[in-house]
Amino acid sequence: MSRSFTSAGTLDEAFAAIGAGARPVAGGTDLVVGARQGKAPLPEAIVAIDRIEALRVLDDTGGGLRIGALVTHEDVVASAAVRSRFTALADASAIVGSHATRANGTIGGNVMNASPAMDTGGPLLCLGATATLRSASGERVLSLDELWAGPGATTADAGELLTAIEVPAPAPGTGSAYVRLEYRRQMEIAVVGASAVVTLADGSVSDARVSITALSPTIRRVAEAERALVGGDGGDAGVAAAARAAAEGAAPISDVRASADYRTAMAEVVARRAIAAAIARAGGGDVPIPASDALYGA
Amino acid sequence: MADTDAAPPRPRFLRSDGKEKVTGAGRYTADLTLTGQAFAKFRYADHPHARITRLDTSKARALPGVVAVVTQDDLPDVRFGGLVQDRTLFAKDVVRFEGEIVAGVAALTEEIAAEAARQIEVDYEPLPVVSDFVAAMEPGVPPIHPDLASYEKDENVVADGNTMAYSTIVKGDADAGMAEADLVVRGRYVSDASQGVPIEPRAVVAQWRGDEVTIWSSTQVPYAAREGVAHTLQVPEANVRIVVPLLGGGFGAKCDLHFEAQVAALARAAGRPVKLVFSRREEFTAIAQRREGIVMEFETGVTREGRLVARRAKLVLDKGAYCGEGGFLGQMAAMHACGPYVIEHIFVEAFLNYTNNQPSGSVRAPTAPQVCWGLEQHMDEVARAIEMDPVELRRRSLIEQGAEGPTRQIFDEIGMKRTLERAVEMIGYERELPEDEGIGVAVGWWPCMPASSGAYVHLNGDGSGTIVTGAQENGSGAVMAMPMFVAEELGMRPEDFTILYQDTAAANWDMGSCGSQTTFNSGRAILAAAADVREQLLDAAAEELEVDRQDLELADGTVRVKGSPDRSVSVGDLAGAGTIHGKGSGDVPEVPGGDTGGCVGRLGNETFLAPQLITQAAHVKVDRATGVVRVLKVAAAHDSGMILNRSGADGQVTGGVVMGVGLALSEGTQLDDEGRQRNPALLDYKLVTSADTPEIEVDWIQVPAKGAGPRGSKGVGEPPQVPTAAAIANAIASVVGTQVRQLPMTPERVWAASRGAGA
Amino acid sequence: MKTAATLTVNGTDYPIEIDPHRSLLKAVREEIGLTGSKEGCDDSECGACMMLLDGRPVNSCSYLAMQAVGKQITTVEGLAGGLGVGALQAEFLQQGGVQCGFCTPGMLVSATALLRRNPRPTEDEVRLALAGNLCRCTGYGGIVKAVMETAAGHEPELASPPVHEARHATHRAG
Repeated sequence: MSRSFTSAGTLDEAFAAIGAGARPVAGGTDLVVGARQGKAPLPEAIVAIDRIEALRVLDDTGGGLRIGALVTHEDVVASAAVRSRFTALADASAIVGSHATRANGTIGGNVMNASPAMDTGGPLLCLGATATLRSASGERVLSLDELWAGPGATTADAGELLTAIEVPAPAPGTGSAYVRLEYRRQMEIAVVGASAVVTLADGSVSDARVSITALSPTIRRVAEAERALVGGDGGDAGVAAAARAAAEGAAPISDVRASADYRTAMAEVVARRAIAAAIARAGGGDVPIPASDALYGA
Repeated sequence: MADTDAAPPRPRFLRSDGKEKVTGAGRYTADLTLTGQAFAKFRYADHPHARITRLDTSKARALPGVVAVVTQDDLPDVRFGGLVQDRTLFAKDVVRFEGEIVAGVAALTEEIAAEAARQIEVDYEPLPVVSDFVAAMEPGVPPIHPDLASYEKDENVVADGNTMAYSTIVKGDADAGMAEADLVVRGRYVSDASQGVPIEPRAVVAQWRGDEVTIWSSTQVPYAAREGVAHTLQVPEANVRIVVPLLGGGFGAKCDLHFEAQVAALARAAGRPVKLVFSRREEFTAIAQRREGIVMEFETGVTREGRLVARRAKLVLDKGAYCGEGGFLGQMAAMHACGPYVIEHIFVEAFLNYTNNQPSGSVRAPTAPQVCWGLEQHMDEVARAIEMDPVELRRRSLIEQGAEGPTRQIFDEIGMKRTLERAVEMIGYERELPEDEGIGVAVGWWPCMPASSGAYVHLNGDGSGTIVTGAQENGSGAVMAMPMFVAEELGMRPEDFTILYQDTAAANWDMGSCGSQTTFNSGRAILAAAADVREQLLDAAAEELEVDRQDLELADGTVRVKGSPDRSVSVGDLAGAGTIHGKGSGDVPEVPGGDTGGCVGRLGNETFLAPQLITQAAHVKVDRATGVVRVLKVAAAHDSGMILNRSGADGQVTGGVVMGVGLALSEGTQLDDEGRQRNPALLDYKLVTSADTPEIEVDWIQVPAKGAGPRGSKGVGEPPQVPTAAAIANAIASVVGTQVRQLPMTPERVWAASRGAGA
Repeated sequence: MKTAATLTVNGTDYPIEIDPHRSLLKAVREEIGLTGSKEGCDDSECGACMMLLDGRPVNSCSYLAMQAVGKQITTVEGLAGGLGVGALQAEFLQQGGVQCGFCTPGMLVSATALLRRNPRPTEDEVRLALAGNLCRCTGYGGIVKAVMETAAGHEPELASPPVHEARHATHRAG
């Protein structure tokens, strides 16, 4: 089979090419880098989907959010809606790679790569986001839990494209944050990260969602940590207990970036910082974006 | 940056290679394309240590598009290396590290070359892998070079088993000194290996014309490359021309012969030009130039008043699989285990051990940053033991004029103690800090490297001139500054000159861009050549103007009569006959004497010519919960003698300090049990980015150096990296309450040390 | 294997043949012959290959050339127009932001992208925006200062040789 390349201007064109055996690429960065490092050769037939304008739209749906798959991290960070109501996502998009990564890297690419270290995954999961998958024959909506099957693997079929991520409106009194352990202030890949979405009502925590990034095959919420928060006053003791619970639920590995012991200990630290920042934001406090940088040494 | 010079600022130095560098027009080696050029790929070893039992290149040779395949069988049976000749261009019978080259392929495209390299069939009999460089010297460990005794080597090399070179520094009686001391303090420190990481991966292009070969190479040392090609391919040096296009950084990683000969051999076999460009992974794993891992044990006997009575130290260094140019590393490390201190009795020994790891070689101030990092933390421990402020201990024990070095070298006037006071002043040593911040101070030194050099200055009939130098520009600007010096000497303007450089066919032998010696040695030669031109101009003008030579002066592109500027003749008119050509070398400075009689394995550097002396102070903030360290400021005070080009010199310090921050906190090559690199990529070998760079304040203690570089100068380029990691280490220790004993001091290591200290 | 396509680099159309697997960097360097953009790594970590694509910075080593068809590609050669030296380039030289020069093209492209989006950046904004471009020589101080000085609109005072021409060309689109 000889190499071919087509560029789709519409979803229909994309599905036609996919039906003929082409693999879709958006930015292509991960595929090209992977091929150059000998991980997997580039597909022989490629259909570029980066010009499908319909997928570039970030809609404030009056409370909720609809993020087209091709919306870039830079666009996400620039969105007033994201910064004010989905702050954890802004925390994450603001620290993905470099300025070039953020200018080209898309939410859709991030989510579909299904890397357990993806920065936007934890915030989206905790914010209750869903993924809309389209194929030539129809559309279905999955929770991110259902979408992510393992490191680098999703439950999407070869004929399906992610078209949008939908994020429901948070309840009043909700704050959120994503905190990543950072050896450097930029150009990092998450060794461990934590996301928290906390809702305060009448001085106590009415709802809490906590997840740990990069310490399990897919990003998952940690129910024990959430339970430790709900009903409490959101004070230091409750935050500490929840952070401990979040770290205990992790299944870290030792590798070139850190030992398992260090990862577990750091899960507790970043969880504590993320939860505290989410609570602070829920209460109207100002924790600058990105929280990781703002909370250095906290 | 503080500019404390009282003198009015000179116009900033603008480099003549600047325009091509900021427009993208400049050509680096990888940018060259020759008609008909083929692409080279190497087949690397499949085991870190194994005997090759079968090597079959027939499939690769049969692949369409392949124009050459070369193995050691096709080449002269000679070994190369500096102090020990232990390596062949391609593996001969045995592979000894993961980057060993088994064969080379040239093909019409990179893809075909890569495929052909894969199709070379190699069978191996695996041999025991020795990766632990301390265990390598234990009895019973199989030798990595069983034939070491029969290799050609320098007569002073003391080799035994897997110890390629054993060296000692001995002064007085260390045992007696320890007995005399009030306290004896011990400390053990371990440094991982690390990398130079020039941003340009190396590239080589070779083209033959009859029996002569021209090689374009991203080397720091074109003449060493020429010598290496001539030796390994057994051709006269005159038949080998090395040309260096713009060089994209080196930091030592591009020293020594590196791949020029293999590419030349491929080009000869292919009968067409061949080009090799390394991937970043190859730049990590295949080069024979990385910063060595070292295990250091220090023992210091001290009085309660801070007098250093005795020092014992044992250093074990990882040489890796081959000697290369790094045979001197143990000897150099031993001098740094003494440091710029007055110590009465010394016994330091260094073991430079072969392993099946990547070979070590000179990377910016080889061995000094790691040993300084260990020693200066140890000195802070000594200070704590005698309950003395660490700066005060250094104040009392640093070398000064008339003091005696580790081998009884007597120092001239030097600015060591002044650098200490200046750095402490710049960092605000005494001030109150938040409890998660700290300040650390460290001192270090580095010798000047005397070497011969040569230069020509040709004047043209229009009053312009050409400087011909063998010196190599690595980016520092040292070569780019040469027109300034020549112009000053001749009363002309820097822009009147162009520079012909980086071409071994044009200029004299030169040591290359290494050892902080470009201005030190090549600058001397340039000035001598300019002085020769000056004499010729004066002679010619005296005849032309019919006046006595001593009544003449050179100014504004003319030679004129002093006090009568109207009576003049232009340089162009004097040069019009095509007879004004200066040449010069100058006198090579002499290495100072000392008493090295008791030292074993003397390989040079037992005394330090015109030592460059450094104090740096670092102000850090530590996130104690994570161990992540941010360096807020580094103050650097250096005695590099007289500074000839302030902006260029400042640039060397800021760059060196940032490289030192990386060495301190993140840059470490991790190895698996078999010596394979686990992080040969920039994602997991982390350099400092612009977002993590500290404020850097630089000042120079300008003490004119005698018998050293031109105009009282010393070297500049390597010292900036020497004490940075050490100063940061002492700052971290002041926050977390204990030393971090492994380099780099990664967040995890800082966190673990901090927990160990109960902080 | 190769497809006929046109890349638009620095405002000029180049009709070339492109292998669909070819990176934008290789196509521009090897097919078009503009070698100012450099290859320093293979995983978007060093930034030496940085180009602008419709004004956005992209690591061209990790981007397929075919995806750039129809977009405005800007390389270092096009930043100041016809190999001229603009204010930003002059400041890089003036402030000691150039040593070996290998990172310089990518740095200039990233700095240009920043200044177009944010003409008056703070020093920290400059540092964050350049973090995807590694420099091993300078320690970044001169580079950051050059960007700040350019943003402030200070005339660089050049000793020699004069490199003032095309001073205001830096912020031109494309």
